[in-house]
Amino acid sequence: MKHKRNTVIQLIILILLGGAVIVTMLLPQLPSHRDAAPLVEISVILREADSSLWLNARLGMEQAAGELGAELRVLTLAQANDGADQLAVLRREIGQQSNALVVVPADPPELSRALAEQEAVCPIVSMESPLEGASLTVSPDNAALGGALAEAVLARDAAGFILLLNASPDSTGVAARVDGARAVLERAGAPVRERTVSLTASSDALRDLLKQPDLSAVMAFEPALTEQAAALKQSLGLDVPLYGVGVSANAAAWLEQGVISAAGAWSDFAAGYLAVEGAVNLARGDSYHTEPLPFFIVRGEELYEPEYQKLLFPVG
Amino acid sequence: MRGLFKRLAGRVAQGYRGMSIQLVLSLSFTAVALAGILLLGGSLLLRFSDSMQAMAQESTQRVLAQVNRNLDSYLRRMMRVSDTVYYRIIKKTDATHRSMTEDMGLLYEENRDVLVSIAVFNEGGALEAAAPLSSAKRSAFPNESPWFRQALDKMENLHFSTPHIQELFDDPDDRYRWVVSLSRHVQLTRAGSTESGVLLVDMSFAGIAQVCRNVEQPNGGYIYLIDRDGEIIYHPRQQLIYAGLLEENNLAAAGYSDGSHRERFQGQSREVTVKTVGYTGWKLVGVVPNPWLWGQSDSLLLFGVSILLFSAFLMAFLNFRVSAYISDPILRLDQAVKELEAGREAVEIEESGCYELRRLSRSIASMVSTMRHLMDDIIQQEAQKRRSELEVLQSQINPHFLYNTLDSVIWMTESGRYQESIQMVTSLARLFRIALSRGKRIIPLADELEHARHYLNIQQIRYKNKFDAAVSAGPDTGGLYTLKLTIQPLLENAIYHGITGSEEDGLITVDARREGDDLIIDVSDNGVGMRPEVAATLLSEQRPELHTTGSGIGVRNVHQRIRLTFGEPYGLTIFSEPDEGTTIRLRLPALNLEQAGRYQQEGAP
Repeated sequence: MKHKRNTVIQLIILILLGGAVIVTMLLPQLPSHRDAAPLVEISVILREADSSLWLNARLGMEQAAGELGAELRVLTLAQANDGADQLAVLRREIGQQSNALVVVPADPPELSRALAEQEAVCPIVSMESPLEGASLTVSPDNAALGGALAEAVLARDAAGFILLLNASPDSTGVAARVDGARAVLERAGAPVRERTVSLTASSDALRDLLKQPDLSAVMAFEPALTEQAAALKQSLGLDVPLYGVGVSANAAAWLEQGVISAAGAWSDFAAGYLAVEGAVNLARGDSYHTEPLPFFIVRGEELYEPEYQKLLFPVG
Repeated sequence: MRGLFKRLAGRVAQGYRGMSIQLVLSLSFTAVALAGILLLGGSLLLRFSDSMQAMAQESTQRVLAQVNRNLDSYLRRMMRVSDTVYYRIIKKTDATHRSMTEDMGLLYEENRDVLVSIAVFNEGGALEAAAPLSSAKRSAFPNESPWFRQALDKMENLHFSTPHIQELFDDPDDRYRWVVSLSRHVQLTRAGSTESGVLLVDMSFAGIAQVCRNVEQPNGGYIYLIDRDGEIIYHPRQQLIYAGLLEENNLAAAGYSDGSHRERFQGQSREVTVKTVGYTGWKLVGVVPNPWLWGQSDSLLLFGVSILLFSAFLMAFLNFRVSAYISDPILRLDQAVKELEAGREAVEIEESGCYELRRLSRSIASMVSTMRHLMDDIIQQEAQKRRSELEVLQSQINPHFLYNTLDSVIWMTESGRYQESIQMVTSLARLFRIALSRGKRIIPLADELEHARHYLNIQQIRYKNKFDAAVSAGPDTGGLYTLKLTIQPLLENAIYHGITGSEEDGLITVDARREGDDLIIDVSDNGVGMRPEVAATLLSEQRPELHTTGSGIGVRNVHQRIRLTFGEPYGLTIFSEPDEGTTIRLRLPALNLEQAGRYQQEGAP
């Protein structure tokens, strides 16, 4: 009896050790150990017709894609802010088995409705505007950004009304900035007028708006419109102060020259990086969370402050 | 804690007491072997880790040295440009008569792959000359820049800045270019007199990044470049750091001396190797996550663990076999001793195993053998003693028998029956002579039968021929020997219990014959007989000692004597039926002279 028990104990020890040897020898052969993490295909769908304004963000996206093993496909629309076109592109990308999408929604409500009807949607990361159905939103606090920009406008003591320009009425992110600015301005008792302009139409309408009498300041709440307004202001030789959003190379030059008085900005590189990092993590089934991006209001004379240099201009 | 330890020790001791020697040996061997393997494995692992670490350090130092050489060469080229501008252009040019722009433009063209601009400013910050762009931005205020102030503060030195955006010239091709500025104080000549100025050579940051980029480091390591204050000049993930998405331990690295250091940053242990770049005070920092095996390679670690486990498996298997080899003879010996304890006689004590165990087995076997001999001797002595006692009893003549016989002789003599009294005395004499037989236990069958005959003669005279008697022997019984005085007690029993109680004429017969190797002697009477179940109990050991009224020698004593002398197969068998008589059969070995002599010697006192 005792002899049998001894034999059983010895057999158990030998089986355990032998099993452990086999497991440790086989483990490296398993596909999960042998292969690196699979490549993640990510489609980035912008709401503009060209991606020049997203240069810094693309650098961040590409850095994240390189580090995390992702393949990026950056897609623009045939016409800026065309929600229908963007939806078609998005559906096509989902159909082409993209592992995750990064979207700058042109028309967030419509896009949300379409996504709700869509089956088997991959993880979606929204930039600029919150999007219902998206797993993650990467943007600054838009309302706070608009408010901060309005504070900068109010810092100047000037008579007349303040014109709030919006070229993307369907974008909830841009709308939030406008709302934030208007709230601050109205609270301060400043007269405010809000106008919607089209980026694609001729600049006549915008010219007329900028040439209005009693105009004390103009505020644009998206980079493309800011650049268009600045270019027009410079070409017309107008003196009206212009406040905008986004600091591209052109915008920086206008800031430096005083064409743009101040701009709300954040690190586009960080936004791009975080969006792709989030998309890769979500595509791989991991959870991901990010805080709203920090933003700042920069004036021309502050442009070369070391901290702003680091945030606004890509190294290299 | 102490109580827990005691309880644990108690459990181990209890477990130990319940374990077999093989399990104790195998487990302790295995535990020791495992401990040894782990110790050895751990030691090898540490050695391997140290070697890997040393290799990583050496590799990093080699890489840093190479990058340092490249960077040094790059910076020296910039310094040569600066020297050339200063000593060959500025010093030889009087700003009143000739512009330096053309010469600086030529120098720029020679080095345009690494240069962004060359510019000379007067002490007030106004641009004197520049290449390739000759006009400064209106918004530019060089005299407020750190590189300008440093150049004027420490005139004897060359000053390298950290990376910053070139803000002096409006370059439509690349308006916001990252540069590293090299500035120095210069003496400008104007209308024959000298005045202070600042020479600025802006080198492309991309050139420095190019030198540091694509440097392979083991285990996902990298290098970065900082100035003497720890400000990052180049980092492979510089933009992430600038954007606040990543942190680097650059400020701590600024305090490190040249060489290897181990640091823990954001929960990760890493080897940091520092190399100072000559003249600038910049530091190249190589970072390699600690090359501990876990980080080094999962496969390598698993392979090491696999080798260790296989060694443990092999050791355990060998230990089990060796412990079985050692303990099996002990277990067999233990089993043999248990069988001996259980009373089994034919137990073989195997002599196997190691020297001590074989000696122990031999000793136990010898002890068992000695015990058996002693026990045999004791049994033999007991048997001898019993036999002697029975023989002594047997050799005693019942005084009543002797008295009655002598009384019969007296009576017959007085009545003139001389012939009968002579016959009786003669038979008595023969009876005694044969009974004595010179002290021999084994006598010829003929003598035993003669002894029976004389006894019957005496009893027939005494009982006035109340019974007839016949003694016969088969022809094949000649020369056979038998135990002395075995028939007479049976005859006595037949007379006193068979014939005397019978009213019929008695007949007692003694018949000796040979059956194979046995001698059979039947003593029969036609007396009262007895029930077979009573006859069956006469020879039982449990029956009380028989005391007859005859010669005083019991039938059972004869049976016991025969068995004590010749063994179990021999002895008496009683056949009896009431009113029909009794036959007592003696079964003895058919002894010849030689065999009788042997028994005679064995029975000798």
